[in-house]
Amino acid sequence: MTTIDGILYGVSVAFTAQNLLVAFLGALVGTAIGVLPGLGPVAGIALILPISYSLDPTSGLIMMAGMYYGAMYGGSTTSILLNMPGEAASVVTCIDGYEMTRRGRAGAALTIVAVGSFVGGTVSTIGVMLFAPTLAKFGILFGPAEFLALVAGGLLLFSRISGGSFASGIFPMAIGLMLSTVGQEDVTGQNRFTFGLIDLTQGIELVSLVVGVYGVAEVMNVVESLETQVKPLRVKLRDLLPTREEWRRAWAPYGRGTIVGFVIGLLPGPHTTLSSFVSYKIEKTFSKYRGEIGKGAVEGVAGPETANNAAATSTMVPLLAIGLPYGAVTALMLSAMMVHGVQPGPLLIVNHPEIFWGVIVSMYVGNIILLIMNVPMISVWVSLLRVPNHIFLPLILLMAVIGAYSVNNSMMDVYFLIALGVIGYFLRKFNFQLAPMVIGMVLGPLIEKYIREGLFMNLGDPSIFYKSPMALFIWLVVIFVLTLDLQRAVLDRLFGIKTRTIAIGGGD
Amino acid sequence: MPNHARAAGLTAIALLAGITAVSFAAPAKADSYPSRDITFIVPFAPGGGTDPIGRQFAAGLEKALKGSNVDVENKPGGSATVGISTVVRARPDGYTIGLGTNAALVYQPLVNDGLIYKSPDDYEPIVKMVELPSIIVVKGDARWKNLDEFLAEAKANPGKMRASVSGLGTIVEMVLQQLNKAADVKITPVPFTGGGGEGLVAVLGGRVEANVTSGAAGVAGQVAAGEVRVLAVAQKGKYEPFPDATPMGDNYGVTLPYATYVLAPKGLPADVKAKLVAASLEVVNSDDFKNFAKTTGMIVDPKGPEETKQELQQYTRTFQDLKTFMDQK
Repeated sequence: MTTIDGILYGVSVAFTAQNLLVAFLGALVGTAIGVLPGLGPVAGIALILPISYSLDPTSGLIMMAGMYYGAMYGGSTTSILLNMPGEAASVVTCIDGYEMTRRGRAGAALTIVAVGSFVGGTVSTIGVMLFAPTLAKFGILFGPAEFLALVAGGLLLFSRISGGSFASGIFPMAIGLMLSTVGQEDVTGQNRFTFGLIDLTQGIELVSLVVGVYGVAEVMNVVESLETQVKPLRVKLRDLLPTREEWRRAWAPYGRGTIVGFVIGLLPGPHTTLSSFVSYKIEKTFSKYRGEIGKGAVEGVAGPETANNAAATSTMVPLLAIGLPYGAVTALMLSAMMVHGVQPGPLLIVNHPEIFWGVIVSMYVGNIILLIMNVPMISVWVSLLRVPNHIFLPLILLMAVIGAYSVNNSMMDVYFLIALGVIGYFLRKFNFQLAPMVIGMVLGPLIEKYIREGLFMNLGDPSIFYKSPMALFIWLVVIFVLTLDLQRAVLDRLFGIKTRTIAIGGGD
Repeated sequence: MPNHARAAGLTAIALLAGITAVSFAAPAKADSYPSRDITFIVPFAPGGGTDPIGRQFAAGLEKALKGSNVDVENKPGGSATVGISTVVRARPDGYTIGLGTNAALVYQPLVNDGLIYKSPDDYEPIVKMVELPSIIVVKGDARWKNLDEFLAEAKANPGKMRASVSGLGTIVEMVLQQLNKAADVKITPVPFTGGGGEGLVAVLGGRVEANVTSGAAGVAGQVAAGEVRVLAVAQKGKYEPFPDATPMGDNYGVTLPYATYVLAPKGLPADVKAKLVAASLEVVNSDDFKNFAKTTGMIVDPKGPEETKQELQQYTRTFQDLKTFMDQK
């Protein structure tokens, strides 16, 4: 079956009444899951897993995929409006998104994100269609050495992702790293920092951290400043739309975000979260308007939100083309296939073309549904800002608690949510950056994992980490980006070459 | 704003009243068991290899017990000890039961002092569900055509051959150590802990020589496509999904499977236990359950409470021996 035949066949599968309905439901429920702080795509999809068992496997997967990219879109809504990420992949969107809201541009930001998610999702789907069999094995090329270079380099680069001084980024990052070591480690099953408490062996949940330091801390912040708070102005329809200038500036980040997301989605790991961080960093380093990022720039919203949708889409490549789930959500999809007796693997495209092409074409449909459904919703979301605080804040807290509990069905996660909320509140008071804390928590366990895997694999010899050409190349890129400022100074001093200011690591 | 305060207060009282009503609902009489929803705790995250077993069983139990929902609750963490501890600690009324594995029920207490269960005496084994034999997988174009060739090369290069496992102290690592012990070789385990077939990816990428994994489901697609080959299976006699694999149980006595059970807290009322055991046995002996196991390469091994308890006690000795062997190195 050629790609064209496949697409036509996929159209015939995706455009049945049932599959259109499940794509719509998936996108709708996914958006809702994304909007609710704490309830992320993994917990949400796990909830509908039993429902998907009663559908045929194609419909089940279409629904799950819809929920995944729906959640990626929805996660940005509360980031922008309330400075509370709906899930971890939307953490960086808070920085510029919330600034835009404070300037009365909430509607514009949401529209930019809706279109960016559509662009990222759709272009990424085209990439999946054209290159799935070719790209499927991309991730297999990456071993512990290459991944260590990626994640450790990432940790260095991201320490100052949201600007501010070096210390204001590195201190919260260290806390994030420390928190990530709590619990039973995977390699040998030792308990670390659990103080004999069984419930602590599961470790500290990322959702508790993200929703705690952003959501709960923000609620405390709002309560504190209730007296001085200005009510948001009634937004006119015209203000919901981005200005011509905002549109113009969004396109380059859309493009960069799509590429970044697509590539990262092909690799194992928390790709949606990482893709949004990488995209933000890229905007901050290379965008023409990098000086404004962090102060409510369109780029800081458009790039990351495009990237996480592109990543949520391209992660279907390894799943469908070679049957390897590179993330928690695709692992759920894999298990849904197995329950139906569908064997995921390289032969899926031959044995079950209806699944392969049906799911791919449905992602195209789903992204259109998402756009049509959500653009009219933007005015509804913005009007949420007018809900009186005495109703709104308790609701937010309630949702945060439910969200944190739902991940592992554990009260421990709720206690951490509250404790981390308090920590986040004080860190903010002292002008510390919160995004590096999330990064430390996400990357910490990965760094440890890849170091240990690499050492085990090479029988204890650390040369593996610099003998791999790809790892070496990644390290060189990291060093290049890290020393951009220095390079500029050297060029200027020695050769008198003036380069444009590179706002590496902050607008300072 | 006194009005708001009052409204909030009233809401809180209403909520509290509701919660109290639910939690103090009169304990169900045994003869009416089950009279409300049963929680079935799966100590793994959704989406892994074990979660579907729990869900399949819960769906069957719901039919067999009639009249009550059986709700699956995923409670992952601590190599399944968090979820199992929740079951062990629960009120023994038959409304909280859960899934356990031989690794988490038997091996974990040997290495983890803080657990609230030490032996099958600390909980009520209800039924044994399925076994997944461990298999050894190499790349499709690997130079070893069978287990003997693989072991010959391992013998010539002690410690140099590597096999990916899902973690140290897991069933698959112990199978590898059983083989090391029985065949007098030294294949080095390399833990790939991310789940989702990462150990298999390491084989596909040529970073390790072999992968040891439980059951057929995760690799069947790759085997069908010729990407990987199954060299051996840790059981006696041939394994239906991969009939060409050498049964290591026959020559080396390597038979340690990944086994799953249903357990309840200690102290169930006798009649509740009887009902639960009867219904559970009905589930694992049903055609639905057998078909499910067949398509995923699992082996149904129905055992009642007494046999299950004996099996778990037997495993204690096996694991203790293996641990001694592993600690020597």
